[in-house]
Amino acid sequence: MKEITAIIRTNRIQKTKEALVEAGYPSMTVKEVLGRGKQRGLQQEFCLDIPEPDDGELLPRISFIPKRLLTLVVDDEDVDSLVVLITKANQTGSVGDGKIIVSPVSDAVRVRTSEAGHVALS
Amino acid sequence: MEMVRAILRPNSIDRVVCALEETGFFSMTRMDVFGRGKQKGIRVGEVQYDELPKTMLMFVVNSRDTQRLIDTITKVANTGNIGDGKIFISPVDAVYTIRTGESGL
Repeated sequence: MKEITAIIRTNRIQKTKEALVEAGYPSMTVKEVLGRGKQRGLQQEFCLDIPEPDDGELLPRISFIPKRLLTLVVDDEDVDSLVVLITKANQTGSVGDGKIIVSPVSDAVRVRTSEAGHVALS
Repeated sequence: MEMVRAILRPNSIDRVVCALEETGFFSMTRMDVFGRGKQKGIRVGEVQYDELPKTMLMFVVNSRDTQRLIDTITKVANTGNIGDGKIFISPVDAVYTIRTGESGL
């Protein structure tokens, strides 16, 4: 069992949800978060290169950018196809498309019935 | 690779982020959460506050950088009082950059 955490652009969440539902993964958790990558947020509108480590004073900037965090817990064999699916739905080619993180989960329990393991996911 | 989730006081976040920038950790995700520890919140006079506002910082770093990250956060966020927060570390199998589709940080 794996947890897929995707941090994506806010305006792509609808497209991602549609793609996931179509592929048969309707369950997910979505949260509004703020984030940034190695560009340290938005420094200037058209300057999204990685800043030099020794350039001293940083320009005025937006240090955290609103993002959506999407979490799914799925079986091991579904991970690869989901990564491709989420990548496809979110790829624009510009900096800030987001990251997908795959981490192990030891168990899942459905609260309504106390079922554990694989059946709790389906 | 490891995921580090630090649940900290909201008013310590700016200091922590500045210190992390100096140490070389630029990428992070920040979210506002509510939480409590074994003190079950806080009691002010007659009023019991069950859940206290906290801010969670989430990082994914290479395993060799984890200790340096934890040291920086604990040093800056430490006030010595109850409620400074907790840091959780969990394993990560893989990371993908959506723009390029490449694996790795």
